[in-house]
Amino acid sequence: MSTQHEYSRDSAVAVRTDDVWVTIVWNDPVNLMSYVTYVLQSYFGFSRTEAQRRMREIHERGKSVVSTGGREHMEVDVQAMHSYGLWATLQRSGV
Amino acid sequence: MKGFVPHPGGAVAHLDADERAVIARVVADVALLLGSEPFGMERDEPATVSDDDDLFRYLQSLESALSDPDDPAVLRVLPNAAPDDREVAAEFRRLTEPELRATKVARLRAIWEALSHDDPDWVVTDDAAVSTASALTDVRLVLASRLGLETDDDASALPDEIDLARHAMDTGAAEDLAVDPERVWLGMLYQALTWLQESLMAYLTRDDD
Repeated sequence: MSTQHEYSRDSAVAVRTDDVWVTIVWNDPVNLMSYVTYVLQSYFGFSRTEAQRRMREIHERGKSVVSTGGREHMEVDVQAMHSYGLWATLQRSGV
Repeated sequence: MKGFVPHPGGAVAHLDADERAVIARVVADVALLLGSEPFGMERDEPATVSDDDDLFRYLQSLESALSDPDDPAVLRVLPNAAPDDREVAAEFRRLTEPELRATKVARLRAIWEALSHDDPDWVVTDDAAVSTASALTDVRLVLASRLGLETDDDASALPDEIDLARHAMDTGAAEDLAVDPERVWLGMLYQALTWLQESLMAYLTRDDD
């Protein structure tokens, strides 16, 4: 899990700004707060506190950026989120 | 129905024969929606239900709704990954959708098989706990789409709506209040699955602070 983090950081530094993409998880009325927290914690390797903070951000503000990196890496993250049943999208950073 | 509690090697929930049959059926229906072969072709139907069709009557219409390729339920289970960029969205779908469908169908099949035994104990091993929670999420996404739950407020309003409708049905006022029994039935199923998933998450996070 922590390797994914390092990859995000490295790729964000290594590539041009317009090649930086983000994965966004959106709020939806079905996913349980306990489940979203669990997924963010186990897949992205967030601490429980950090996963809860992001879960609340999704719930209260409608979305949260959960990872940053190259497009292919974001596609892997979005696919994982879709596998868990979370509503995730990818887009260029700063759009 | 009793929610998941710790059990040697995993967690166990208790479901009676009707509950097992309904959940097995809706799980199989969601798999069909995702392009699976019908579950149960290889063997006997799970937990055969005796006399009345009431238990399954409303699932018939769910099935027909699901067969529509434009059904928004499919989009909830396999959402658009880039709503503002058709090229990125199409590329993502092409690369990931077959695998996502296969993963989701395999998880649903595991639940279906577990509920096909004539045993009130639904045992979920630790290895299968997360995939079971994810499959329950997919089923709830489909039911929520069918119920038109689009916002948090819609979802929060459901329990009171269902309680009121059930009370109206019990007291013979259902017609006056234009209660839709199919909606009540799907709403109760959604709530039961939500409750089961919550109990499974409580089990999965039992060692957290």
